Amino acid sequence: MGVVILLVMAAGVALMLTRKLPTAFALALLAVAIAFLAGAPFTGKNSVLDTVLQEGAPALAATMIAIILGSWLGKLLDETGIAGTLVRKIVEFGGDRPTVVALGVLAVSALVGTVTGSAPAAMLAGIIGIPAMIAVGVPKVTAAGTVLMGIAVGIPFELPLWQFFSTALELPIPTVRGFMVKLFPFALAAALAFVVVETRRRGTEHAWSLKAVDSPGSSGAKPRSRRAELGDAPWYALLAPAVPLVLALGFELAIIPSLLAGVLYALVTTTRPGGMNKRLLRTLYGGFEVAAPPLVLFISIGILLAAVKLPGAVDALEPLVKAVSPHNPVVFVLVFTLLVPLCLYRGPLNVFGLGAGIAGVLIATGIYPAVAVLGMATSYNQVFGVADPTSTQTVWSAQYAGVSPQQVMVRTLPYVWAVALGGLCVTAATYL
Amino acid sequence: MTAVELASTDRELMDPTSVDDIEWGVRLLAATPTHEGRDRELLRQWALRADEFGSRLAPVPSTARVVERDDGLERMLLARYTSRPPTVELYTDMLALAEKLVDARGWRAWYPPGSVRAAALAHEAVHAHLHHGPAKAALKQALDHTVLRLGRHRLAGHVAGAEEVAAHAYARTVCGLGRSPLLLTAALRAELTRPGREK
Repeated sequence: MGVVILLVMAAGVALMLTRKLPTAFALALLAVAIAFLAGAPFTGKNSVLDTVLQEGAPALAATMIAIILGSWLGKLLDETGIAGTLVRKIVEFGGDRPTVVALGVLAVSALVGTVTGSAPAAMLAGIIGIPAMIAVGVPKVTAAGTVLMGIAVGIPFELPLWQFFSTALELPIPTVRGFMVKLFPFALAAALAFVVVETRRRGTEHAWSLKAVDSPGSSGAKPRSRRAELGDAPWYALLAPAVPLVLALGFELAIIPSLLAGVLYALVTTTRPGGMNKRLLRTLYGGFEVAAPPLVLFISIGILLAAVKLPGAVDALEPLVKAVSPHNPVVFVLVFTLLVPLCLYRGPLNVFGLGAGIAGVLIATGIYPAVAVLGMATSYNQVFGVADPTSTQTVWSAQYAGVSPQQVMVRTLPYVWAVALGGLCVTAATYL
Repeated sequence: MTAVELASTDRELMDPTSVDDIEWGVRLLAATPTHEGRDRELLRQWALRADEFGSRLAPVPSTARVVERDDGLERMLLARYTSRPPTVELYTDMLALAEKLVDARGWRAWYPPGSVRAAALAHEAVHAHLHHGPAKAALKQALDHTVLRLGRHRLAGHVAGAEEVAAHAYARTVCGLGRSPLLLTAALRAELTRPGREK
């Protein structure tokens, strides 16, 4: 039966790869199919309806709240002009040195990446950052890659992500935080190397062009014009993106209050008391819009995790997965580093796809300790978050810069592959 | 990169005297990221200074390799400079369209035959010049945009898009054009994006 389950999983991957079904729907269908194949009853204990669908759907509720709060803060950073002001200042201070501007945008992207993820994060830093980099001569692919690599620097400190791994892998937050702190230097070093090497290797580029890289006014629509009316955000408001991180990392405050504090700080430093209610509600509702795709995905991942943890599924998959999973630390690093491309194009190791199910199988069958699975998943996530040409942030950044997502993938993959290698080395050395 | 969002109306293009060269520069700056919501008068000052700077530049020799390409219509490009290796790409299909448009609009007195190609080379030569030499600092000084002041000390800030305005002004001067290449840019853009035009 294990082989049949794996075949069904492969079929699910095919459906996602060929875009026959959106990932979230494919994962939920996959979960139901796995549950039936694992011999789960229709209702009752360890059943399809009660366990997989009813208990699985809200299993990642804490992550979903964190996602909503992150998106809310992201909306506020946009509407109040905090993100835009950060990028503008960087261009004004370092504009005649493309590398300095790119490093500055990288830093802003990293800050934004700690707050929210996916396309909204890329948009926050990139709507002004990408054309600003291009305007000072940074080549387009490098400009798009810089925003993505910057967000990836922030990923290890993205609080909603801590919550996701904590809930999905049943690990305490301090354990997740501990590994993320170890992963961060690799992400940072790779991102700095990307900017320095690529801006030097490719030099600068200037074009006599007819085409406007969409001006903020045309892309950002209403929030941007509101910002334009208000002018730059005050300097102390620019600290807003760092508030949740400082509280969660420095003061070990819980994730949701840390994000809420960030929301409040961004609000009170930029908004007159009379306008606070209106702005809070408007950005919150806007945040829901931004959060909708990941929320749906997290519902499906919860369902899939519930399915692969069913006793029947664990019994069926354990011998198969055990037979192919390396335990020697060196082989572990080699094998899983070579498998990195499988997290691209919605592949089977994509953490926000079937990869979550595979992680669940590895933990449920006891093949690797949960913290080692955390190491694998987060290492792969560093690759997915930057180089996957189907991930929303990569597609958005590439298209906004006027290049193809595949060009961005080719340019960034060596760097993020190295980050994954680093993460897997730490995992093998520490947890195997 | 120009980031030209030269929001031009048909009337302005048919009657180009209604928009002067400095105003085209202002529009270019206004459409350049980092200038959203910036005071129009300040943008005008910067456009004027950048234009003057470009017009006064001594002739700049170009040592970059010149390569011709024919995918400018697809990429909406007339020319491109890359520093590694120093290369100027000329998009011949777009240059040909520009020449045609000059005739169609009756602008030949402003843009003599072959002048668009010469302007493209001159434009990119300025980018190379500003990239490699001390001229970039001189442009910054000319723009006089202070971003930080500490007592007597002040830090001059970068004005995104000003280099582009200067490059166009230089091309206009050294190629003896009657009007800025920015006018032609706006006309080409309007021509290529007008409704009903087949891609």
